Amino acid sequence: MSATTRKAYSTVSEVRFGQVGMANLRLLHIDAKALEDELLERVSKAPQLLKCAALILDLGHLDKEIDTPTAKTLLDAIRHAGMLPVALAYGTPATEILAHSLDLPVLAGFREAYRYSAEVLNSLAKNDGVSPGAAVASPSEHTYTATRHHAQPVRSGQQLYARDTDLVVTAHVANGAEVIADGSIHVYGALRGRALAGAQGLASARIYSSEFRAELVSIAGCYRVFERLPSELEGQPVQCWLQGETLHVTKLER
Amino acid sequence: MTEIIVVTSGKGGVGKTTTSASLATGLAQRNHKVAVIDFDIGLRNLDLIMGCERRVVYDFINVIHKEATLKQALIRDKRLDSLYILAASQTRDKEALTQDGVEQVLDELRQDEFDYVICDSPAGIERGAHLAMYFADRAVVVVNPEVSSVRDSDRILGLLSSKTRHGERGDGGVPAHVVVTRYHPEKVAEGDMLSLEDIEEILGLSILGVIPEHDSVLTSSNQGIPVIHNPDSHAGLAYEDLVARLFGEDRPMRFLDVPRKSLLKRVFGG
Ligand SMILES: Nc1ncnc2c1ncn2[C@@H]1O[C@H](COP(=O)(O)OP(=O)(O)OP(=O)(O)O)[C@@H](O)[C@H]1O
Ligand SMILES: [Mg+2]
Repeated sequence: MSATTRKAYSTVSEVRFGQVGMANLRLLHIDAKALEDELLERVSKAPQLLKCAALILDLGHLDKEIDTPTAKTLLDAIRHAGMLPVALAYGTPATEILAHSLDLPVLAGFREAYRYSAEVLNSLAKNDGVSPGAAVASPSEHTYTATRHHAQPVRSGQQLYARDTDLVVTAHVANGAEVIADGSIHVYGALRGRALAGAQGLASARIYSSEFRAELVSIAGCYRVFERLPSELEGQPVQCWLQGETLHVTKLER
Repeated sequence: MTEIIVVTSGKGGVGKTTTSASLATGLAQRNHKVAVIDFDIGLRNLDLIMGCERRVVYDFINVIHKEATLKQALIRDKRLDSLYILAASQTRDKEALTQDGVEQVLDELRQDEFDYVICDSPAGIERGAHLAMYFADRAVVVVNPEVSSVRDSDRILGLLSSKTRHGERGDGGVPAHVVVTRYHPEKVAEGDMLSLEDIEEILGLSILGVIPEHDSVLTSSNQGIPVIHNPDSHAGLAYEDLVARLFGEDRPMRFLDVPRKSLLKRVFGG
């Protein structure tokens, strides 16, 4: 095919940032053989869950840094056990250099895209002739974490946390259950447990419930406990928001 | 296909073992091959209620520890040929129960073509209760009409959706039926107990069956005859209804209203 052939499509790929479940392997001792045996056993016990599962290797709990050949034997051990290492977990600058030498990305603890430290970026740039800007496009400005939806009842003793985003629950939240979000919380159903919005301090976060019976509501750390619900709020559609230090809890008027 | 059903509650003394015994019996009465397993290691109750305590030679733990075969340990019910009991150990502690061991026993019951395996869970949310529910395909959550019991059952429903094999596979967890036992129409009418509507609203699930509080349950337990065998007992009839509903039969709820006292009782008390 010549380079001038007209293509039937405008692009051949799309790049998206999303969340996927990944196993996180926290390494406690450097012992490739023992690691392989241990993982083989785990994989054989839960093959559906672990066989061929993508895995992030976390070296942050070792008491020393490891070199590239050692890391390679560890990665081989994991592969022999049937799991697929795809990245290193965020750690020290040494982890970043190691990851680079292994051709693996470094992933931060949760979904936020990881940013290399300037120091490492500069040294990598020197070695490879890539500019820091090209090495990692700054993802922070345009990332958007999709709202977390939950359609099952949140039961007593359960905790639901929507990190970096809003939480929408389309079922009830039981007494003794806890729903938490870094953004706002919407409960389309009875809210009988606890709701904590703006968990990382976002004061503009709000809590909405179509049937308010909460034990506690909190926004950005300002909370109100309800031992007995005010009768004008009980069972009503309610909105909670923060004004300065004051947490307002009012009926939603239609 | 073998279906594994756990009978669980969280709170103790609500009627799990009573329900397990009558459920297993009711299934066997419909000619299904049924095994009922006591997971309450250290206590042993099920064999008493099933009336086979004298015939327990080997138990669940002996099988798990390969001190006996499953065949040796399964006790055939005296009344129903297709019903078998696997007793708990009275002498071992709970640590003797292992996940692999439980799985092996359940697998063997599958190979032996049992239709149903009923797992009578101990109270609480510790090891025994966890293992009783872990491999379940279905759950019967037993609840009494009181706040603490309903709260515990809610907790259990949460665990059924997450801390079970179905839950871990992410296929929605173990489907659960709610059964209200020790239901006292008078106390509900007086507001001392939660109503069925209250329970359904708190749990967000509909109720499969309601077993009234009745002395015949204790009498049956003492005689070692599951109450479902007693056609004169309202509790027994309610259990029979419950089993029928599991098979999709439409049986209206009964024994829910305050029984009217007879004239004699009103005059002479009672
Ligand atoms: N419907 C009923 N009417 C009257 N008594 C009942 C009824 N159901 C259960 N009981 C009584 O309640 C007590 C506890 O029942 P059971 O042993 O079945 O509960 P359990 O949930 O298995 O208890 P545990 O948590 O100790 O295992 C027993 O004495 C039993 O006879
Ligand atoms: Mg019991």
